[in-house]
Amino acid sequence: MRTLRFFFFTGIFLYLYVPIGILIVNAFNLNRYGLKWDGFTLKWFSGMLANPGLMEATRHSLVIAVCAATIATAIGCFAAIGFSRYRFAGRRILQGTLMTLMMAPDIILAISLLVLFVAIGVSLGFWSLLLAHITFCLPFTMMTVSARLQGFDPFLLDAARDLGASEGQLLGRVVLPLLQPALLSSWLLSFTLSLDDVIVSSFVTGPAYDVLPLKIFSMVKVGVKPEVNALATLMVVLSLVLVIISQLFLKEREKNGKNQ
Amino acid sequence: MKIMRTKTAVISLVSGWLLLFGVVPILMLLAASFLTQDATGFFRLPFALTSYRQLFLDPGYLEVLLRSVKLAAITTICCLAVGYPFAWFTVRRARKQRLVILILLMIPFWTNSLVRTYAIRMVLGTNGLLNKMLLAAGVIEAPLKLLYTDTAVILGLFYLMLPFMILPLYANLEKLDYRLVEAARDLGAGLMAIFRKVIVPLSIPGIFAGCIMVFVPTMGLFYVAALLGGARQLLIGNLIQQQFLNARNWPLGSATSVILILLMTVMLAGYALVMRRLASRGQRS
Amino acid sequence: MGKISNIITSGLLAVACTALPAFAAEKVYVYNWTEYLPESVLQQFTKETGIEVVYSTYDSNETMYAKLKLIQKDGYDVVFPSTYFVSRMGKEGMLQPLDRAQLPNMKDLDPNLLDKNYDKGNVYSIPYMWGSTGIGVNSEMIPVASITGWQDLWKPEYKGKLLLQDDVREVFHMALKIKGYSSNSTDPKEIEDAYLLLKELMPNVLLFNSDSPRLPYLAGEVSLGMIWNGEAYMAEQENPAIRYVYPKEGANLWVDSYVIPKSARNIKNAHAFINFMMKADVAKTCVEENGYATPVLTALPLLDEAVRTNKTVFPDKEQIAAGEFQTDVGEALAIYQQYWEKLRAGN
Repeated sequence: MRTLRFFFFTGIFLYLYVPIGILIVNAFNLNRYGLKWDGFTLKWFSGMLANPGLMEATRHSLVIAVCAATIATAIGCFAAIGFSRYRFAGRRILQGTLMTLMMAPDIILAISLLVLFVAIGVSLGFWSLLLAHITFCLPFTMMTVSARLQGFDPFLLDAARDLGASEGQLLGRVVLPLLQPALLSSWLLSFTLSLDDVIVSSFVTGPAYDVLPLKIFSMVKVGVKPEVNALATLMVVLSLVLVIISQLFLKEREKNGKNQ
Repeated sequence: MKIMRTKTAVISLVSGWLLLFGVVPILMLLAASFLTQDATGFFRLPFALTSYRQLFLDPGYLEVLLRSVKLAAITTICCLAVGYPFAWFTVRRARKQRLVILILLMIPFWTNSLVRTYAIRMVLGTNGLLNKMLLAAGVIEAPLKLLYTDTAVILGLFYLMLPFMILPLYANLEKLDYRLVEAARDLGAGLMAIFRKVIVPLSIPGIFAGCIMVFVPTMGLFYVAALLGGARQLLIGNLIQQQFLNARNWPLGSATSVILILLMTVMLAGYALVMRRLASRGQRS
Repeated sequence: MGKISNIITSGLLAVACTALPAFAAEKVYVYNWTEYLPESVLQQFTKETGIEVVYSTYDSNETMYAKLKLIQKDGYDVVFPSTYFVSRMGKEGMLQPLDRAQLPNMKDLDPNLLDKNYDKGNVYSIPYMWGSTGIGVNSEMIPVASITGWQDLWKPEYKGKLLLQDDVREVFHMALKIKGYSSNSTDPKEIEDAYLLLKELMPNVLLFNSDSPRLPYLAGEVSLGMIWNGEAYMAEQENPAIRYVYPKEGANLWVDSYVIPKSARNIKNAHAFINFMMKADVAKTCVEENGYATPVLTALPLLDEAVRTNKTVFPDKEQIAAGEFQTDVGEALAIYQQYWEKLRAGN
């Protein structure tokens, strides 16, 4: 049983990591087609950096990811607080809509937004892309913050109110600081979702605002290109950094939790 | 007074956003699916059932729909078959190890999915790693033709969707009261019996959630089929993408997505039904 | 907690900084077929003019057309449609008339390729390159002599082995030619015949690829199928076993042209780009790197003897005579499209 389990885990992780490993190795491989090891090189990285289109798309992707993550986290946070603190008609319908939006395949969101943008005459570019990205991040940020809110001690709020805090102070001084870890993790999640998105972007953006995943898609469709390997390697490193940040802050939160 | 104002602002912001960018577009999509294709514009009146007739009566399109459902089902089953033991083994580890396993699972999940699909392609190629290893080991004599087949697409989808199965299962199994298992063992139940009669019934919500999380999005992942698949159109997503970004038949593309929405609704309704059943049974016992 | 916030803040700042220079440079947005323009040429253009090229690619006329339809403003500045899409887009008012005053290098073009039916007087378009679609064979796997025409692709022994272009007109060209029809047929009956013939071919098809058809040949995934002459030429440079065959029923001949869409925003830069592309040395590089024929006459003497006499790049008179140039089929394109959809969906 033990060895069986060991082999099971090893097998799965090999399946998950070997392809990525090959990608990274080939990013430094002199051989253009990655069929055999011809020696170490960094020229694919410099080739990638010298490609202005690729760099512009990277810049666009980062701007969109930062804006979408920030706005989606803000709206999602207020929505989550609203849902937990207020009772109102249609609350369940709203929650249901949010859930459905989260479950819906990206392609549905993509084309329904495309139809909307075309119908009301929004030109495809930065704004259409940003609106779309905020929309698909929103359910995730709201869920993350809601989950954290449920773990709250309600007496904290009562205590604050008894001490004379206004509604605004309550939010600003008590609720938001307590929510900080959840906000950070929902920001990071939205950031990755936005940076990872191929499907929605391929429908709702125009030439004026090409983004990285679309560039990568058109490059990998063509075939094996070492510049893509280099780019992919950088992206793997970026996501590693993000995971480490989110883990670090989890640790910090635990420490804080123990101190309290 | 102040509370009222904040409340109204928050609620109207969220519901306005969802209405404008969630509900209204879906309704427009529904309307578009009943319109007529326009050669130079996007769609035009009159309202007609042309697109639905095409989808169900032209043999080609129906085949794509069925093929897509089949492929997504196979992917879901594979993910469940691997994901369930994975989640179970993980839950049974010590806390530290659990965290390590989950992080190892999440790192690829945080990596760009396109890049991962591309990586899979490099492994499966005629001159890819897999063929090279099998040839070297003497398992096969000629390289396997894996790339551009349905198998390649399933392997790719499985690769991308596995965490979506494992995470809900893990969340569910983590809450499972292990004392029930011990009680069953004390009462003399065998391993299989415990699994069938105790563990599986208790993890049904997790199984359902995982299956929905894998099955529905899978059908939309057109780029996986485009990169790994062959000449046949495999997924509903490819059909939709083709209609919107190549053939310019928006009504047909919209109708195809309406079908996908219906499929999803049926699954979510089924999930809700099962959950309610379970809840009421729980209350009775 | 503060440490994390600092990390995030500095990250945001870094992003903001990288975002700023985006507004500085002059740009031209080029939307072209995949693998159809050497990168060195783009770099040379930027070096000479200071204009940055933002380059995107498409894999079929239809995809390009669908994309342009979605864009009202701030679109691509230079696009490369094939002949029949030039006339269609011109008729639908999607193109801007070219300004000859900004295109002095036009004088060097082959008059045989100008003033054609699809764009009388070259109001909207100037030819970029021309070439053919024929058969690609990996001679290590399949004897070249055994493949002489399109008909050979229908042989049952090639089940699940072929590569076809992902392009409706090119694929229908094969079947129409085998049937002895014109590949620009507008007769619904003839198109249906071709469709029925193609339906029989579908079991043989492994994949559709018109991004860069040479790569599946080079990777060993396919050893027989359709290919553009330029792609075959590029493949041959890397693996001499890959050969190009002009099918006896006739190859598909096509011309791709520069146009400036209505939605373009850098019109002056677009003209500068087109004019630059017509320079003799630039056209020479394009031929040598991409393996298609150029209409720039002054480029021909600069070419290496081996390239100039290469039959894959420059077909001889008989090969041209046997082939047929693609022209606009007007309304009939919708019929082609319908059958094409069925082929792609139902095989």
